[in-house]
Amino acid sequence: MDDQPHYRFPPASAYRLNRCLFALKSDDAFRARFIKDAHVAMAELGLDADDAAAVVRGDRNALLARGAHPYLVFMADLRLRMEREAVAFEFF
Amino acid sequence: MLVGAFACAHTPQLLARPSTEDRDLVLRVHAAFARVKRRLEALRADAIAIVAGDHVEAFFLDGVPALAVYVGTECAGTFGRYRYRFPIHEPLARAVVEQGVERGFDLFYTQHAPLDYAFYVPLHFTMPEPAVPIVPLHVNVYLPPQPTPRRCHDWGRALGEILRARPERIALMASGGMSHFPGTDRYASPEFEYDRRLLETLKAGHGRELAAITGEELDKMGNIELRTWATVLGAVGDAKADVYCYEPSWHHGNAVVEWPV
Repeated sequence: MDDQPHYRFPPASAYRLNRCLFALKSDDAFRARFIKDAHVAMAELGLDADDAAAVVRGDRNALLARGAHPYLVFMADLRLRMEREAVAFEFF
Repeated sequence: MLVGAFACAHTPQLLARPSTEDRDLVLRVHAAFARVKRRLEALRADAIAIVAGDHVEAFFLDGVPALAVYVGTECAGTFGRYRYRFPIHEPLARAVVEQGVERGFDLFYTQHAPLDYAFYVPLHFTMPEPAVPIVPLHVNVYLPPQPTPRRCHDWGRALGEILRARPERIALMASGGMSHFPGTDRYASPEFEYDRRLLETLKAGHGRELAAITGEELDKMGNIELRTWATVLGAVGDAKADVYCYEPSWHHGNAVVEWPV
C-alpha cells in the first residue's frame, strides 16, 4: 500500500460513487437532499447498496477501497460537517 | 508583454481562517499576498493569467482535460459561503488557445465552467486596484494521469512566448503548492524539507530542474500542484526566485514567490 500513489486513477467501477462525493462537495441542492434523506438522494445517482452504506457511514477506508478519490472523500466529509455543525470560520 | 511572474499558495484555510490555524502564520502569508498586490499595481498589469489546478470542481470524470483555457466573458464560482466572479480578458484568452494550438498544444477550452477556489484564493488577496480581467489556465493535478512536469514546462515556455508578443501588460501567476496531502493519511505531515530544498533551487535560478522531476516524485512529496509552478517556470526561464515567504502550517507548505521577467 505504501508504494501506491496518494492519488490513483479512479476506476470506472467507482464512477457513481465518485459522482456522489462530487455532488456532496459541490452541489448545494444535492447536499441538502442528502441531509434530508441520504438513501433517496443516493438512489438518484444509482449507487449500489455497498457504496451507499460506505457513504452513510463516512467510512473513509471503505470508500477508498471502493475506488473513491481521496480528495473527494475529504471534501464531501468537510462540506457535510459544515452543514451539520457550527464551524467557526473567519475566526481571526 | 509579460511584466511579472508569481506563485501563490491557495490553501482555503488562508481565506476561511478556521480556529484550527495558527493566526500569526496566516497573517504572515496575507502580508506576502499584499506584497504581490502592490507589485501588480506597480507593474500596471492589464491582465492576470493565472495557472491553477482545478480541484474536481469544473472538471469531473465526465471530461478530464490535461490543459485548459477559460475563454468566456466572465467566470464565477462558489466555495462554501464565498461567491466570486471575475471578468475574463477574452481576446487574450482566445489568443492563448489559438496560438497554443498552433504551437502544438492540443488545448481544451471552455466558455462556461465553474471557477475553483484554487483560482479564487490568490486573486482574493492579490487582485490590484483597480481590478483587472483574468485568463484562467487549468492544469490537471488531481485526476491521474496528470501531464508530466516536463509537458507543463514546455507549455509554459510556449505560453510565455505568446504572452510576451501581446500588446497588453500581463502578469503570470501560478496557484498552488507547496507540500500537502489532502484526503490522505499524510495530511498532517507534509514534506517541508523537500519544499525548502526546492525553493533553494529556484532561488539559484535553476527552475528548469523542476521539469525533470517525475510525476511519481511529486505525488510522493505532496507536490502534485507544482505542475502549475512548472508551467510558470517554463515562461520565466532561468530567473532567480524571490521568495516572499515560506510558512509551513500543520498541513501545508505555504509559499509566495516572485520571479523577475
